[in-house]
Amino acid sequence: MSKINDAIAELRHAPGVKGAAVVTADGLVAASSLATGLDAEVISGLASYLMMTTNRSLDEGGYGLCSKLLLNATHGKAVLVQLDDSYLVVLFDQFAEIAQADREVDGAVARIRRASRLA
Amino acid sequence: MHLIQRMKIWKELRRLEQRAKEQPSPSTFVDLGQVYINLDLHDKAEAMATDGLALFPKSIELRQLLDCARRGLRTRRAQELRAKLTRSPHPKLFRELAQIHIELGDTASLHALCQEWSLRFPDDAGSWLVLGQARLTSFYRDLAAREGQEAVQCLQRAVNMDPKDPQARRLLGEVLYRVGAVHEAQRHLEALRDLDASEPGIEQLLQHVQGLADHGDDIAALLSSVEAHGSLLHPSAEAARRAPGGEQSMTQARLGLQRVAEIEGVEKATFIRGSKAMVKGAIRDGKDPFLRIVRVTAKAAHRFARRLDIGNASKTVVEGDYGRICICVFGEALAAAQCTEDCDQLQVLTELQELVAGALHTVEE
Repeated sequence: MSKINDAIAELRHAPGVKGAAVVTADGLVAASSLATGLDAEVISGLASYLMMTTNRSLDEGGYGLCSKLLLNATHGKAVLVQLDDSYLVVLFDQFAEIAQADREVDGAVARIRRASRLA
Repeated sequence: MHLIQRMKIWKELRRLEQRAKEQPSPSTFVDLGQVYINLDLHDKAEAMATDGLALFPKSIELRQLLDCARRGLRTRRAQELRAKLTRSPHPKLFRELAQIHIELGDTASLHALCQEWSLRFPDDAGSWLVLGQARLTSFYRDLAAREGQEAVQCLQRAVNMDPKDPQARRLLGEVLYRVGAVHEAQRHLEALRDLDASEPGIEQLLQHVQGLADHGDDIAALLSSVEAHGSLLHPSAEAARRAPGGEQSMTQARLGLQRVAEIEGVEKATFIRGSKAMVKGAIRDGKDPFLRIVRVTAKAAHRFARRLDIGNASKTVVEGDYGRICICVFGEALAAAQCTEDCDQLQVLTELQELVAGALHTVEE
């Protein structure tokens, strides 16, 4: 578990990242590192809702499942990555360029997957 | 590097070169390119990626290799320029280095460089113009008021320092009319025409701007409004020219959708407003699952962003084994496209954004 926490904490230092969390499909927080003012419970609930809704509509349409979702909003950006039974949620500020943090996000995903398999 | 290590690498290189000739495939080109990159031979890696793309134009790995090689070349050029600047600073060198930082997307270095440039050459407007361009690019991408404000301030400063610079005037005029400060924009565009009547497209641009509604000259308020709505107030002259006069709304949306569908790799495209949908590409009928997926995802993304207090979700990209689904939303107008993994995502999102921005324009009329 500490390896997942380490991966999340490291990702938090990438440019523009306001917070990162690993949440289970049913909306529970497995690990998180968030800026003050961000509530892990709220984020996990919303991320679970967004991924489950999207996945259900994709699955019903015969598209399979979503592996990654990128969202740009007026005051922030978010990336949600499907892990085995959970999601990695990364929140960025509105000025961040998500593409620039791709390597860090991919690195964190690989580390979390590895740690989950070992656990 | 150790001599034996070097010899081993050269041997491996010769083997890969031979393999690329005998069995050309994306992976052989990529393997060879990777070795060139490891040896710091970015120019050779670039040539290898270009050759590979000529044979396999849809290969994602080869595009990534090309991108990586070019980044390496730019980084090296940036180091050379930095060294030259330390020895003998010159505005021309600052400009070239700033351009490389923009291409590398290195905003922090760009800001530091422009600061140094303006300190060393306080009478040169170039630093403000470059900084204004970079800020403007981010503003057009994210529609964040703060970036817009910074862009306008930088460009205004560039214009004040060098009133005869056509580029600063044009950029300033364009951003001003697109956020709604039409009269203010006209002032700059007329000054641009007075400077040089042969400036390309200036007459058409002025004609386009004259037909737009002015929303005052409180730039800060206009930029905040753009940020709140998630869309620019007026379309670009080019977007407006694509659908001249008459039955604006439908024609404009149809042409916009056509442009999206024509992008290489786009399989399906739709423009939805309210309960009506316009479609292009491999969509059988109104029951096509793509349409439902787009609506459901856009609604969920909207709810996610609002509840998280990060404003309106304007762009969403959903990736999976099927490729990508790109969605752009403004108000009740939604444009989306399903595309392959190797499709130019930025181009698709830009066209989709123009499409929904055009919808806003026609609603206003």
